Amino acid sequence: MNIDPFLIWLESTALSQWVVGSPSLLAFPGILSLHAIGMGFAVGICLALDLRILGVAPGVQIAEMRRFVPIVWVAFWINAISGVLLLIGYPTKALTNPVFYLKLVLIGVGLWLFRRIGRRVFDGTDDGAESPQLQKLAIVSMVCWIGAITAGRFLAYTYSRLTALD
Amino acid sequence: MLRDLQIWLVKSIVAHSPVADLMHTAWAWPIAESVHFLGLCMLIGCIGTFDLRLLGVAKRVPIAAMHRLIPFGILGFVINVSSGVLFVLTEPDQYIYNSSFHIKLLFLAIAGLNAGMFYLSSYRQVFTAQASLNAPLRAKVIAAISLSAWVTVIVAGRLITFYRPGPCSPQDTTWVLQCFPKNQR
Repeated sequence: MNIDPFLIWLESTALSQWVVGSPSLLAFPGILSLHAIGMGFAVGICLALDLRILGVAPGVQIAEMRRFVPIVWVAFWINAISGVLLLIGYPTKALTNPVFYLKLVLIGVGLWLFRRIGRRVFDGTDDGAESPQLQKLAIVSMVCWIGAITAGRFLAYTYSRLTALD
Repeated sequence: MLRDLQIWLVKSIVAHSPVADLMHTAWAWPIAESVHFLGLCMLIGCIGTFDLRLLGVAKRVPIAAMHRLIPFGILGFVINVSSGVLFVLTEPDQYIYNSSFHIKLLFLAIAGLNAGMFYLSSYRQVFTAQASLNAPLRAKVIAAISLSAWVTVIVAGRLITFYRPGPCSPQDTTWVLQCFPKNQR
């Protein structure tokens, strides 16, 4: 399937050209900055929860860490929106690169694990920190986030086509 | 004076950099960047959540218990200093003449001094039994400054690439002077 007509249309939209071409710091630089801040909070809190499950900070009641969950979701939506804007800016660069799909899959699995771990530990019935099964999930979660970050960073170095217009 | 120091720094690093060859191998730079981003997440996930706890999130968690995450935040910081130094030692002109990098260093210093203030002024207080669930105002102010400073460090770091100084070809013998920040030329 040739998606080039779609890519060319998307790149010619005013929004795409604003994201890429505007000299405003709020355009590309601002969107990238939001994406980095969102990553710090979303992935950071997920990693902190994984560390807690693996036995770090044993005095923290694991169920109480649910208070940080809304922050993870706010940060996630900041990144979903800023990510879509970056995608609108450079659709060809991302959509023709397999690493981009790897990043999306790793984020999907990471979020699924976050919810699954949350269901086990946030209702307070299962302190869970000693459960080997939960600890395995925490380790897989960490691997997913490390992979998603690495895949995201490698997007800048592994693309084969920058735009469909040229 | 400062300009001379910057030029001297760039020249010395270029002349003696022990890591430039390594960092110029195929995937070294992107790997170091990925590690830098992971360290960022550890720092925010551990120091940022501790700041949020001081500000009143998850109030039932004793502050002293939450503080046990801090070593992992410091590990994230150490990871980022180590990976960050690799970038500066490889392309010194891109950072030493870069105003966004200067702002990043400034806010790193603010975050560091602010953390020092916490341990000097509030550490004992928030670790006593009565106060362990509710931080005093002073600690909350420090936590808010900490969060703001780290977020500013992230933004300034992300903006470095948009404030790269002019043409900096190492082949050009006059490149050091050409690489001087545009706004000061």
